[in-house]
Amino acid sequence: MYGGGFIGEAEKQTQQDDPKLLAEFEAKIAKGEKIEPKDWMPFDYRKQLIRMIEQHAHSEIIGALPEGTWVTRAPGFKRKLAIMAKVQDEIGHAQLLYSAAETLGKPREQMLNDLISGKSKYSNVFNYPADTWADVTVIGFLIDAAAIVNQVANSKGSYGPYCRALERICYEEAFHLKQGHDAFVALATGTPIQRDMVQQALNRWWEPIMHFFGPSDKMSVHSEKLMRWKVKMASNDDMRQQFLSTYIPKIWELGLTLPDAALVKDETSGKWTFTEPDWDEFFKVINGDGPCNAERLAVRKWAEQTGRWVRQALTQPGKQYVTPFA
Amino acid sequence: MSELNNAKAELINYLADSLLILGHRNGEWTGIGPVIEEDIAFGSMAQDKVGQARQLYELLHSDFGYSEPDTFAFTRTAEQFKCPQLVELPIGDYAFSLMRHFLFDQADLIRFEMLSSSSFVQLNQFANKFKGEIKYHVFHANTWIKQLSKATDESKIMLQTALDALWPYAFAMFEPGPNDALLIENGVFDGEKALYDKWFETISTLLNTYQLNIPNISDETIGRGGRYGYHTEYLQPLLTEMTEVFTIDPSAEW
Amino acid sequence: MENISLDPRFQRAKLPELDEEVILNASDSFVTFEVFHQKKKGTHHSHVGIVHAPNAEMAMVFAKEQFARRGATSNLWIVESSNVLAMDYTDSDIFDTTPDKQHREAGIYKTRDKIEKYQAELPNTKQD
Repeated sequence: MYGGGFIGEAEKQTQQDDPKLLAEFEAKIAKGEKIEPKDWMPFDYRKQLIRMIEQHAHSEIIGALPEGTWVTRAPGFKRKLAIMAKVQDEIGHAQLLYSAAETLGKPREQMLNDLISGKSKYSNVFNYPADTWADVTVIGFLIDAAAIVNQVANSKGSYGPYCRALERICYEEAFHLKQGHDAFVALATGTPIQRDMVQQALNRWWEPIMHFFGPSDKMSVHSEKLMRWKVKMASNDDMRQQFLSTYIPKIWELGLTLPDAALVKDETSGKWTFTEPDWDEFFKVINGDGPCNAERLAVRKWAEQTGRWVRQALTQPGKQYVTPFA
Repeated sequence: MSELNNAKAELINYLADSLLILGHRNGEWTGIGPVIEEDIAFGSMAQDKVGQARQLYELLHSDFGYSEPDTFAFTRTAEQFKCPQLVELPIGDYAFSLMRHFLFDQADLIRFEMLSSSSFVQLNQFANKFKGEIKYHVFHANTWIKQLSKATDESKIMLQTALDALWPYAFAMFEPGPNDALLIENGVFDGEKALYDKWFETISTLLNTYQLNIPNISDETIGRGGRYGYHTEYLQPLLTEMTEVFTIDPSAEW
Repeated sequence: MENISLDPRFQRAKLPELDEEVILNASDSFVTFEVFHQKKKGTHHSHVGIVHAPNAEMAMVFAKEQFARRGATSNLWIVESSNVLAMDYTDSDIFDTTPDKQHREAGIYKTRDKIEKYQAELPNTKQD
């Protein structure tokens, strides 16, 4: 869901993976062993991992922007400190994830170039605007909750550096979720104006949240391979169900509503039914035509452009860059 | 309240306002800094400053009967703020923000060192508490200025330009407080003049090491008056923005 | 930019037009440093990750916030990545038989059976 999973360049594999090495590799994974950067890995494993981790990193750095909209306007010290810490954490997560992706051989600057050129994707949910303070609480609560479902699953994957980064991230996400829920509850249990603000925000964000885990997986050969290699740890559908089971009750217990009359849990099967979100809209937005895509990239370009003199002042031409190894 | 108590409260108010406004300004870089690792570091320091401000406002509330921190910080208008004009200036480019951080934090370090032997026990407790944070802030600032001052022609020019613009405001930061004599007499604080002298000695030595020119000040009134409620055109818009959500309902719990 | 940003910071800044090309140069890469974190005095420093920085001092400045902004920390070490000699995983086989080297482990040294057998075979003596 960090870029749709199935959107990407077709960088062609020129040589078949050695079948003996491939078999050994798959046996290792099946046994639950981790793969480290210098281990042999199939072409597609490396390619998919770079794309996945990179897109996750981009999602963090772009993810800092919707809530960043309100970082100067947080009401009161508790919220001010919390939002400053939270948005800062997103950049911290981006750093951890770029570092993990770098171990696979792609330099950080190349990844950032691909982001600002529009070549690499990031989680679609961040292409929507944070219209009010209440939007910040919805993002901090529900989108972080969704991210946690995904991150906890992937932290048990096969690639060492990504797992280690995710463990650290999951720990910090616990704070994000708690502070988000806290701010959300403050509004929901507050004055009529506050309650209305958060209900409106919920109505606005519900479809992007439902889009978060991506369309239903067809158990394609592609998907099956990624799961066998423990690159993808759970299906989009399973993660969405997990999210709904945990968080819909937390919304309803506050007497708030969701803009989907079909949302209901089958008590026997434990599965939620819901109105299928508009996937055409999802693809339209992820391909550039959303309310904030232009602004998100413009901000990153601005940051890179205005920061260029700083980075140049830090470059040491004599030094030898080595690909990180852990 | 006695005259001495008023003087103590004014000092704390001045400190808290300075830290809040600077922390707020530096927090504007969160998520959009020039280097990922630096974005994280600058964000932390901004939080430190806001956190220190909050603790000082808490002291004003508990010991001097001022309204509680959120109310006091989020409902006043510009002329009620005591921060020096230096801290309310817009963030500018990164050289400007770094240079301001360098100039202010060195003063902050010395000020709290002086306060660590204050007869006003709570202030000297805060001085000890904040010591570690401020030590890192100064380490950060000095490391950056050092790095940029010897890197490229462009970085040297950026730093000098920022220093030229900021110097009058930095100098004005040390304008005499309304109760300096009383504070000195009672061992609460040795006054702005003493602070300035120590600061100037350290800063000028550092700037010489970094081969940056100390500007001349043609007009000593530039940048003054902040402590007395005279501010630049930038403070009110900052406050309007900072308090936008809070003032939707200042009595609500956010 | 056509739309006005909702973020007052970007209303103030001049955001570039989208088709303006902004490319980070390869030379914008700077080297990496490994960070080791000690939680409490008396414990080992643990490897926690990397920072990009031009030199060790700036790496320390960055590491303090990236790896020590939460929880307890008593110390940090910085080592330039190129100074780390990392073993190749292809040589992990040199450790294959190590777990089997039981002669180094306490577990194979069992004395109970011998002691009990000895005591059982002793002639009947009064236990005083």
